[in-house]
Amino acid sequence: MGIRFVLMVNKQGQTRLAQYYEYLNIEERRTLEGEIVRKCLARNEQQCSFVEHRNYKVVYRRYASLFFLVGVDNEENELAILEFIHLLVETMDRHFGNVCELDIMFHLEKAHFMLEEMVMNGCIVETSKANILSPIQLMDKAA
Amino acid sequence: MEQLKTIGRELAMGSQGGFGQSKEFLDLIKSIGETRSKAEEDRIVLREIETLKSRLSSPNTPKFKLKEYLIRLLYVEMLGHDASFGYIHAVKMTHDENLLLKRTGYLAVTLFLNEDHDLIILIVNTIQKDLKSDNYLVVCAALNAVCRLINEETIPAVLPQVVELLGHQKETVRKKAVMALHRFYQRAPGSVSHLISNFRKRLCDNDPGVMGATLCPLFDLIMTDVDSYKDLVISFVNILKQVAERRLPKSYDYHQMPAPFVQIKLLKILSLLGSGDKKASEQIYTIVGDIIRKSDSTSNIGNAILYECICCVSSLHPNPKLLEAAADAISKFLKSDSHNLKYLGIDALSRLIKISPEIAEQHQLAVIDCLEDPDDTLKRKTFELLYKMTKSSNVEVIVDRMINYMISINDSHYKTEIASRCVELAEQFAPSNQWFIQTMNKVFEHAGDLVNSKVAHNLMRLIAEGFGEDDDAVDSQLRSSAVESYLQIMGEPKLPSAFLQSCILVLCVCVCGLFNFFIYLFYRSFVGSWGNMGLQMENILPHILPGNCVTWQRLIRQMT
Repeated sequence: MGIRFVLMVNKQGQTRLAQYYEYLNIEERRTLEGEIVRKCLARNEQQCSFVEHRNYKVVYRRYASLFFLVGVDNEENELAILEFIHLLVETMDRHFGNVCELDIMFHLEKAHFMLEEMVMNGCIVETSKANILSPIQLMDKAA
Repeated sequence: MEQLKTIGRELAMGSQGGFGQSKEFLDLIKSIGETRSKAEEDRIVLREIETLKSRLSSPNTPKFKLKEYLIRLLYVEMLGHDASFGYIHAVKMTHDENLLLKRTGYLAVTLFLNEDHDLIILIVNTIQKDLKSDNYLVVCAALNAVCRLINEETIPAVLPQVVELLGHQKETVRKKAVMALHRFYQRAPGSVSHLISNFRKRLCDNDPGVMGATLCPLFDLIMTDVDSYKDLVISFVNILKQVAERRLPKSYDYHQMPAPFVQIKLLKILSLLGSGDKKASEQIYTIVGDIIRKSDSTSNIGNAILYECICCVSSLHPNPKLLEAAADAISKFLKSDSHNLKYLGIDALSRLIKISPEIAEQHQLAVIDCLEDPDDTLKRKTFELLYKMTKSSNVEVIVDRMINYMISINDSHYKTEIASRCVELAEQFAPSNQWFIQTMNKVFEHAGDLVNSKVAHNLMRLIAEGFGEDDDAVDSQLRSSAVESYLQIMGEPKLPSAFLQSCILVLCVCVCGLFNFFIYLFYRSFVGSWGNMGLQMENILPHILPGNCVTWQRLIRQMT
């Protein structure tokens, strides 16, 4: 069961967060991110939130200025992944309070820590917001 | 509003002390956020690289400053530039005692390096040490790193400790230990073949998080060896029942659905176990039926579960009531305004087609709507459905549509895929040889470079050897119509050269079909150069088949 990557890219094509579960080098990542954002920008709101890319799929969701893009193998349930994206946003919301692009930029490592709790080996392993945030909250307290 | 919030946050940060970010960091982020061109962004990043190079090389930098530099390095790479000069600092930071610093170090390493990088060896010791820590959060940080950085070679260094952690008192440690073991299985299945029973044990863990995580490796295991896990069907059904009946803690709820992501995983597993197995399927029918009945079709996640149920139903041994429920759900999806739901509806339809072929008929109109929708994703999905629906009675219409679509596609990867599908369908269901040749020609004309050359040669051989028709008149009529169509195509100005070559060869073969010697000759010269071939043909053929001299002269003139 495979999530290949989780990206947050704004509509200018600037990457705000990139987590790859299958290794790609810098050049490959740049190409991929550019291609996908262009594809998603070309679509309107009524159309599917899924695009086929190469031999896999990208599920995307736009929140204000930011695109959340999740690359998944063809066996994944696309609608569930769409909701996983929303769960991620809700989780960040809970932590940052009305999360926006700037929050992610200023606290990049925190956003990553949250994602680390939720996805391991390209699989969704944790979906309880309490469990996702508790290690981060404990770390904040200890620091 | 956005601006006010920004200012507010900046003020708050500016007032923070050592653990907050420096003004320099804030300025960097702000300037990155405000760039309007890639060139501008590159300038900022290159300047940042120089700054970081000098800062990182100076000794005695306070640790929290180093952490900030690491994060700035992450930015450098995220924006497409190389930050390898700083990798060693990420490695060093993993040694730190402070949890936040250590975790940041691990994060940076997992983002910078892949598992085969030389520097990884420097981290394995740290990971080993951290796996034994008294602080469970440190153990967790190490387990996260294991899942990203341990490869086949380094598995033995951490395996024993990971196995021990499967019994840790903290559920979050057990959960991550399961995933670490999963990682080892993915990298080197042999390394954990004696430990597989641990996955079965963790399935029964008290903590739902551990149980849920275990479903991931179990899914992979069942994919490769379904028979060894048939005994778990009942367990999975029971777990799914408990989840659906809301017996998990509320914190796993999402939009009023109880642990939906776990439900979906379980349904996928049950699909595998019940596929082609009547007895196993019978144990699964009830729970799937219940979930379909109780599903919430007003929310995305509710529909996601419903869709997964349909997928499950389509792989289980056929059950009329469930199939009916699935068909109803599909109807609702297809009638919906949401393209996402239409997409799922089309996908589900193509899964049910094998079992209930008539279902496609019922939704013909909806399918055609999707086919004609400007949404490319939906169109593609519908073509996949058509591909599965093709039979001799509808192949002409379907392949015709597919070819038209293929012509409009720019993406060569996808174009190749559609072209291969067209060829496959044509080969399998062609109603007449005439149609077959015409269709293949169209495919070659528009995707000649992309189609496997073997296909072209097969076609030519078919024409040369005839289609096994007993009637010579029909056969030669076929050949002459093939020759005509190729001559016509060659008259067109823009053709991919591979196709042109194929045409020539077919023509030669057609006309000289009876003379294997000449076929051989032409093929030889075809593999050689054009000039050669022209010469050979010019010299030999007209003598053998004077009636076709004019045709050949035309042909040769076009080639040279």
